[in-house]
Amino acid sequence: MVRKEDTVRLISAEGHEFVIEREAALVSNTLKNILTSTGGFTETQLGEVRFPEISAPILEKVCQYFYWSLQFASGKETEFHIEPEMTLELMMAANYLHT
Amino acid sequence: MTMNREREVIELEQGWAVMQKGITKLKNLLEGVPEQQFNSKEYIMFYKTIYKMCTQKPLQDYSQQLYDRYRESFEEYINSTVLPALREKHDEFMLRELVMRWDNHKIMVRWLSRFFNYLDRYFIARKSLPALGEVGLMCFRDLVYAEMKTNVKDAVITLIDREREGEQIDRALLKSVLGIFVEIGMGNMDVYETDFEGFMLQDTAAYYSHKAASWIEEDSCPDYMLKAEECLKREKERVGHYLHASSEQKLLEKVQHELLTKYENHLLEKEHSGCDALLRDDKVEDLSRMYRLFCRISRGLEPVAAIFRQHVTDEGIMLVKQAADAASSNKGEKKDSVGAQEQAFVCNVNELHDKCLLYVSECFLNDSLFHEALKEAFCNISEELLVTVFDLLKKGGSVKLSDEAIEDTSEKVGELLAYIGDQDLFAKLWRIDGDTLASSLTSSSNEGVPQHSSLQQLRDESDPSIVVALMGTTTTEDFFTRVTTLGRGSGKDSQLESHE
Repeated sequence: MVRKEDTVRLISAEGHEFVIEREAALVSNTLKNILTSTGGFTETQLGEVRFPEISAPILEKVCQYFYWSLQFASGKETEFHIEPEMTLELMMAANYLHT
Repeated sequence: MTMNREREVIELEQGWAVMQKGITKLKNLLEGVPEQQFNSKEYIMFYKTIYKMCTQKPLQDYSQQLYDRYRESFEEYINSTVLPALREKHDEFMLRELVMRWDNHKIMVRWLSRFFNYLDRYFIARKSLPALGEVGLMCFRDLVYAEMKTNVKDAVITLIDREREGEQIDRALLKSVLGIFVEIGMGNMDVYETDFEGFMLQDTAAYYSHKAASWIEEDSCPDYMLKAEECLKREKERVGHYLHASSEQKLLEKVQHELLTKYENHLLEKEHSGCDALLRDDKVEDLSRMYRLFCRISRGLEPVAAIFRQHVTDEGIMLVKQAADAASSNKGEKKDSVGAQEQAFVCNVNELHDKCLLYVSECFLNDSLFHEALKEAFCNISEELLVTVFDLLKKGGSVKLSDEAIEDTSEKVGELLAYIGDQDLFAKLWRIDGDTLASSLTSSSNEGVPQHSSLQQLRDESDPSIVVALMGTTTTEDFFTRVTTLGRGSGKDSQLESHE
């Protein structure tokens, strides 16, 4: 059972909320910066980040990537499938998120 | 469905206005102006703005300008706010202000470099420029530190001197300030060493030079040593409290030089309280302290060992003279009392030896230098002894020393020789005085039996080969030649039995 404090909410342009584990979110350097700032972001407590620029499908894929990346890090080799149409936006999102 | 394709192009000034808001808010937060902390929405906005401005088409790729304006933000803030605040204050207040401004600066760098983070990823690598974090630090270093460093250094040293005089100072503050010196070096200790340590060492040397000059006149050797030890202890503590660990060695060396090296001879030779006096008065604790202090200096123990050796030699020779005087003044009396004199002598010598050995083991921590000194001293004593014995034996012809007396003295000689284990000595003395001795032994009325018995004693105690050789001589010339050959050979032949 994942506790509330260990989750982060990522909100897409349309307003879709994706709830993922904190550890997964930290794969993105940008998110890491936001969530671990010692300056005291209000959102560090709430654990909620909005991305008005990123659409839901992309964001969904990104979340999947986070989990895939964690799995890969622990040794399990799997393939991460990306639809060709998605590639460009996904890359841009990845760049933005520094993932 | 897709990301916003028609990304509006953000113009430089437009985008910059956005960033400026963030920068101002940050400054306010640092200055203590009531403001909301940053939330992630704002963070994303700043980050996004920079991101956009750097990923636009080449004409609108404002990376370079943003990089420059980033640095300018710091410069502007420093020049308008930070430096004036620092210039107003002095001494300890100035130091506090500096520490606060430095901490603030670090926070500012952290936030702004996060906002402008996108520059760090590609732009600086492409242009081989320093990273944002470094730029921030360099601004502080070149504007604030460069101007303030001399004053800061002076203020710190003043505080240190005040602490030396017994005042309580804010050690945490000093630690923070010295931390700045180290951090500004950006991985290198150069800054700390050049801008602070060098001056601090100079000041320390001057301080202790001054103190030593007055102490050496006023204080006795033990008192001076106590003070010196105390100073060294305090300076070492000082390193622990706020100086950088790398300074310890250099600092202690300076202090040692000023207090100990410069005045070593003066100190040791103080008439009523110097090393010799301490040995006379059996001041074990002071002698131990002396050893502890001077063993820190290279070759510092040699003078001490020299005085030790001289002292032991003097004591021993005094005993020899006493015994000799007693023997020659008792020459006419009964054999018993003469024997007692010599026994007393042997006893005294052994006592002296034991006492000195105790010094070596307790005060001088079994240092080989002092073992050597002790050995040499006893060599000198036994030299003196043999000379005296030979003198007595020489006079034996006209004075008629008892057989027993001669035997006893030979016995003593033998004992001492066994102790020293150095047959060279014996041979050497025979060479010097063997002529007269031989003639007295062979020509005096004490010839025959005493000669043999004294040599007998010697044979029991010392190297058989020598004595056997000598017993066979009949003429003094022959005697001499034998001894000379032996003297050359005894170094190889004799077994050096050390007393340990």
